[in-house]
Parts: sequence; structure tokens; C-alpha cells
Amino acid sequence: MQLAKVQHEVRMAGAKLPPIALPTNCPGCGVSLDPEALRKHAYVCECGHHFRLGADAWIILLADRGSWHERWGDVRSHDLLNWKVPKPYQATIDQLADEGLNEAVRTGTCTLGGRPIWLAAFDFRFVGGTLSIVAGERLARGMEQAAASGLPYLLVSASGGARMQEGVLALMQMAKVNAAVGRLHSSGVPFFSVLTDPTFGGTAASLALLADINIAEPGAAIGFTGPRVIKQATYADLPAGFQSAEFQLARGQVDMVVLRTELRRLLAHLLEMYP
Amino acid sequence: MTRHGRRLEETTLTVWQVVELARHASRPYSLDYIRRLAPDFIELHGDRISADDPALVAGVGTWHGRTTVFLGHQKGRSLKERVARNWGMMHPEGYRKALRLAHHAAKFGFPIISLIDTPGAYPGAGAEERGIAAAIARAIMEWFRIPVPIVAAVIGEGGSGGALGMGVADRVIMLENSIYSVASPEAAASIVWRDNSRKVEAAEQLQLTSRDLLAMGVVEEVVPEPEGGAHMDFDAAARVLDEALFRHAQPLLAQPADVLLQHRYERFRYIDSLIHAEPHFGPKID
Repeated sequence: MQLAKVQHEVRMAGAKLPPIALPTNCPGCGVSLDPEALRKHAYVCECGHHFRLGADAWIILLADRGSWHERWGDVRSHDLLNWKVPKPYQATIDQLADEGLNEAVRTGTCTLGGRPIWLAAFDFRFVGGTLSIVAGERLARGMEQAAASGLPYLLVSASGGARMQEGVLALMQMAKVNAAVGRLHSSGVPFFSVLTDPTFGGTAASLALLADINIAEPGAAIGFTGPRVIKQATYADLPAGFQSAEFQLARGQVDMVVLRTELRRLLAHLLEMYP
Repeated sequence: MTRHGRRLEETTLTVWQVVELARHASRPYSLDYIRRLAPDFIELHGDRISADDPALVAGVGTWHGRTTVFLGHQKGRSLKERVARNWGMMHPEGYRKALRLAHHAAKFGFPIISLIDTPGAYPGAGAEERGIAAAIARAIMEWFRIPVPIVAAVIGEGGSGGALGMGVADRVIMLENSIYSVASPEAAASIVWRDNSRKVEAAEQLQLTSRDLLAMGVVEEVVPEPEGGAHMDFDAAARVLDEALFRHAQPLLAQPADVLLQHRYERFRYIDSLIHAEPHFGPKID
């Protein structure tokens, strides 16, 4: 589907977004990309194509300048199952840490439009944003503290699901995190979820779709089983746009599809409406 | 040895042989156990919204003198039945049926027994269109609010989120030759190697056998199976499972609901604490 041209300015908190890896041409419209112009536009092409952001960019985009206070950033993953092939898990996580990435989920407190909140952002660059013990621990602790302190909880997801290399303990994070989601809901704290491309598997089937308000980015792929596996398992021909944000809107799973450039203003407004 | 002192024989089987036993075509399925545990079992149907999911058997039966809600993934024996049961792979309606019966149990104070035996939730377009991700997510969250004792047993395959959606319980036990995994070996191989023929290597790395899960502290007990596997003697397998389920359910029946729910929360909230305590946990117990 054709998206309306992005016209609104990004109302960012002030700091510049970090550079991200970009193709030479936009996958949405084919235009050759100007990285600097895109960066000022929250990495949304004029055609409406949203490029994937890491957790660092999300924190800059959503947190008021200077308000970010990261929590439990020093809790690190390690190889529990002695996972060796095709690549040792320990080498995978060490290499990502050397690249400056700190796990698939970062969490902490900040303000958004002056309102103190808890923020958690997935990072797809870290083993596909997969739910790990450390990711689950950061999410559950943050939600427990949000429930106890009454601060709203804001989640930004981008994840392939549970992390294979942590085996069944990664699967159990879905239960661990959802136990905390239940407490968040019974405490009366608002929980807003922003689903970005892609959100699948154990992350979609745990906290990401259980918010009070589910917001998806245009074109984001959201589902449980990925299209490749569906085709393998059922030989089905999937229509264009299957599992897109717009597909999930039509099927009642998300409340709205919102341009990234509009997101901060929307969230600030929601935070005023849900005190 | 299990925590309760039952002798668990050492195994000489390879990991892949355990996977094959867990999937054995003659292995007892949920209804084979439920009819032996509660001969007066009455099956109940439907999610009360749109459909009945035949991949999940649900109903009530008298178990140790007490009305009990039974839930279980059901695979089929003949090809026709397998198709009808969708190989034990649930659609969103199945998770809603399970929650409906969970609230039913809560209303009457019935304990719940959940038998897990599924390759996973159904990986098809229809399940996606009707919101399988959110259905599983909601089920997992709601299980933490059901104020009656829940004991789950993995009797064959515990595949991924489709299994966990039925596996939030106060106690989780496993039959000796069952498996419980973040993804099926084929799916894990497809994800990690992009090649699902590497399933044997994937199975070996995933640590998915009952003994692995007991060592990780994810399940409370491994229930020994008859010589050669549960399919060799349905009655004997059901007797040992019955005894283990009841031994776990009994102390729960006396607990006040708030204590029960707090312990259920903590069971999953700190399920990886054994790992935190042992940073270099890794080698398998054999």
C-alpha cells in the first residue's frame, strides 16, 4: 500500500540520533538515500518507509534530553548451555559487546514531555533482539518497579522471539515477563507498547501485544510465526502485507498505526491523559 | 534421583533417541492418560466465542475423590484423527477454551491438571489472522491469576510457546522420555543454521530432555517410564504419572489462594535463579 508523504517534523528531545547502517537506496521507493537528511527525519523516508532503529536511537528519540537513567546495564549474558555450533554463543555475545551493544533489551527511567516513565527498548542488532535471561530480567524488574512506584511503562519492541542459544530458559522468560505484566495491570499503571519491525515469536506472544494501548509503526511486520516458516510448514501463499502493522490493525491486535515522526507527540499526549 | 526420592534410572539413549521416543507414534496421548486418571471424564467443548479447538482436550473428571479440570494437547492416532486433531497444534480458540475452563475451575474451586504434548502452536496463516501471538500471551498472563492449584505434566513434546501457553502451573513435571524446548529441533536448526536438516545437532545443544530440565531447575520432577518407554505399557505409565501428579497436587490443595498465586509468581519470576547462582552451569548431567 502507498503511504502518505511524511510531512511532519520530528519533535525530538534535542539530541541527534546516532548514525545507522543504511542501504544506498530506499527499499520502499528506490530513491537514493541521504543519510544526514534521514537522520534528521528519525530515519523515516519521505515515502513512509521506516528504517530499523537500535535501542540507543530509541532512547534518544523518546527520552527528554539528559533524563535517561539506565538500570541494570551491567547484568550480562553468558553461555549457559555450552553452545558451540555453528558459532560459540559466548563469542557471539562478546563480539556484540565489543561493538558497543548491551543486550537485546535496555531499560531505565526517563521523562517524556516532562512525565517520569519507565522505558524499555529492544535492540534487533543484538542476536535479533531475542528474549534472553538478561533481557527478561531487565523487563521484569522494570515492570515490577513501575508497578510499585506508579510510573507508566513504555515498551518499544523489535525482536525475533526467544533466544535459541539459551534454550528452554529463554522460553521461560515469556512466563517470567508476563507474570510481571499481570502485576503491572493490576497495579493500575498505564502500559503503552510500540511495536516496530519486526516483532515475532516469544516477544509478540508475551508482553508486546498485552499493553493498554498497542501502537505499531507503519509497515512493521508483527506476528507469531515468521512467513518463511509458515510457507515451509503449510505451503501457503501469503498475500502481500500479511502480518503487517496495517494487517494487525484490521484484525484488532493493535490500536493504531503511527508514523515515527508523530510518536513522541502522541505518547506525550497519552501520558497526560493517563495520569 | 528426583527431589522426591524416586529412582530415575540412568539412560543410555542419545538425545535424538529421546526426541524420537517423545514423538513415538504409539506413545500414550492425553486422552489415554485422562481416561485412566478419571474414568468418569466428561469432555467439554468450545471457547464460547467462535469455535472448538480439537487439538486441545478439555473437561472434568473425578480424580482422587475430587472434581478436577483436565486439559491436554491431543494428537491423533490414525491419519484421519491426526488431521482432525491438527497434530496437537492449537489455534487461538484452543487457548481461549483453556482459559474458559480455567475460570470454570476457579469458580468451583476445582484443581487443574494440564498435560502438554505439542510440537508447538499451529504455524499457519489462519492462526496468524486470528491472533495466535496475543492468544498465547494472554493465556500465559491469565494463568498467574487462576486461584486454584495447577499441576502440569509434559507427557511427550513440549514445543515452544504453544506448550508454555498451557504450562504455567504451580508444579511442572515431565515424563522421563519427554522433551521441552524453546523451539523444536527442526525449527531451531532452521533459525540457527538456516537448515532444518541439522536437527540432531540442534537437539543436542538445546538441552531439551527431562533430565536437562530437572538439572536446570525448570521442572520439579522427572517421572520414570516403563521399561522401553511409556508406549510399552499404558496402564503402568498412567499409574506412575497419577501418583506423581497427586503427590504434587496434594500440598497445593491446602494452600490459601493468595499464597498459591504468590508462589506461582515466584516460581516463574525466579525460574532461572539456579543459573544465576551457577554462572558456569553448562555440562549436562548424564
